[in-house]
Amino acid sequence: MPLCMSIIIKVILLCLLAFPQSAFSAEKGLTVKGVRYFSYSTFTRIVFEVEAAAPYILIRSTDGRSATLSSYDGPFLLKTSLPMVRDSVVTGLESQEEAGRAAVVIRLGPVGEVKDFVLRGPDRIVIDIAKGAAPAPAPAADKPVVIALDPGHGGKDTGIVATQGQEKMLTLDLALAIRKILRKNPRLKVVLTREKDQTLTLDERAAVSNAAGAVLLVSLHIAPGAAARVFIQDLFDEPGTRIVQPVSGDFLGFEADSEQQEMLWGNQQAAYARESGSLGRKLARQLAGQDAEPVQAPLALLKAVGAAAVMIETGVGMDRSHAAESIAGGIELYVRENR
Amino acid sequence: MSERTDRRIQSNWLLLGVVIIVFIVASGGIMLWLRQRSIDAPRNPAMQDQRIEQQFRRDEPLPVTLYYPSEGMLATGSAAVQRQPDTQSQARELLIALFADQRISLTPALRDLKLRNFYLDAFGTAYIDLTLGPQKDVRASAWEEHLAIYAMVNTVLRNFDEIKRVFLLLDGREARTLAGHMDMSRPFMKRMDLVRQ
Repeated sequence: MPLCMSIIIKVILLCLLAFPQSAFSAEKGLTVKGVRYFSYSTFTRIVFEVEAAAPYILIRSTDGRSATLSSYDGPFLLKTSLPMVRDSVVTGLESQEEAGRAAVVIRLGPVGEVKDFVLRGPDRIVIDIAKGAAPAPAPAADKPVVIALDPGHGGKDTGIVATQGQEKMLTLDLALAIRKILRKNPRLKVVLTREKDQTLTLDERAAVSNAAGAVLLVSLHIAPGAAARVFIQDLFDEPGTRIVQPVSGDFLGFEADSEQQEMLWGNQQAAYARESGSLGRKLARQLAGQDAEPVQAPLALLKAVGAAAVMIETGVGMDRSHAAESIAGGIELYVRENR
Repeated sequence: MSERTDRRIQSNWLLLGVVIIVFIVASGGIMLWLRQRSIDAPRNPAMQDQRIEQQFRRDEPLPVTLYYPSEGMLATGSAAVQRQPDTQSQARELLIALFADQRISLTPALRDLKLRNFYLDAFGTAYIDLTLGPQKDVRASAWEEHLAIYAMVNTVLRNFDEIKRVFLLLDGREARTLAGHMDMSRPFMKRMDLVRQ
């Protein structure tokens, strides 16, 4: 009897030590039906959507360059393809099978703390990986200023169709033309959210900009006519409504109130209202004259961008090279004055 | 023997009491009914005219203000809709009139949408439930999408003070955008700066 009791106590202790933050269910094994990721300026979040919460193991390699997620007991089934993750924190996601045990390997860059927790209903395993200390900061003069350009629409989403072509192709041409001009400036590094005709969600576009550490994002769109409009985010602010304000530069702890932290995605732009206003004004004046002002609008893409961000709609009848030069000029002016 | 006689006397008294109570309640009810009838009845010809006028106003169309996109801004128009017994039905009637308006049928974004339903909750939040037409998607520029949204929002909020904010739904559900630009996950307020003065 004492031997039996001792074994039971050891098993309980083992469980507690092995899975401090895991959720237990009667079902054995872990089935992953979806994987999403979000890149923030200070950390990357990977969300594994599971069919039912079950004990899992998250092991970080001794060299710290990878972390492996697998089920504690029973099969680990991956019913979805892994997204292409590549930012300064996570360099890739791979599925792996070793000795008959499946797992997902998270390849890590120089990272700091790795935290995991479980959210219920729907059940998710969330892994937050903080950005590690940068090796050695480059002198400010040498450090490139990252500019993100977002050619609107793409893939299945053609945007408007004009006699000049589909909006998705016109925006890509415009983005490439702007990049060509900006590349002449050695201080600037230009990142495009897409470089070909491909479907991207609005969150994926914001994530590309956030992951690249862009100081500004310009989303490009086309409209009928020959006029240009610059939009900035209209930050919704009804009295009595709770707005979660992200604190720039902080790592977000998740031990408590994790649902509130979930709400932060989509509120990043709130911290950059002044910068976006400044960028919007410069671009509006470059494109539409000295009295032009940006228009405030509830923009679905910009709200998740953690940098100065604007959306520009150029008329399909506008001279494309003139539009590209004006936009590039506005960007350079903003960088010169603000960086 | 004497106990039986006592019981009979007691039950007779009880029956009498019940009859008296029923009589009092019935008399009171008849008096109240007569009094109410005299209040409702028109006392003079002037009151009778007022009642006829109220009845006439209920049948008279309600003038409303509509906003619709026109030449890059929102233009103001007027229309008349049938009066409804409550705000929710009245606002639904208003939106039916907006979508039926000739000027809307020419507008990008709005011409691709149909009104599916309209709800109003107790806190003054309105829900405009839209559905797509046969083309299954909305193709519009960001500015056209912006104006289409505020044409609906301004029309509802301008005509009903008791409606404080508007949510837009697509096929009964929260949708991210209509045409890929504007965020529909949040409530909308009036934007009169978009209206041409």
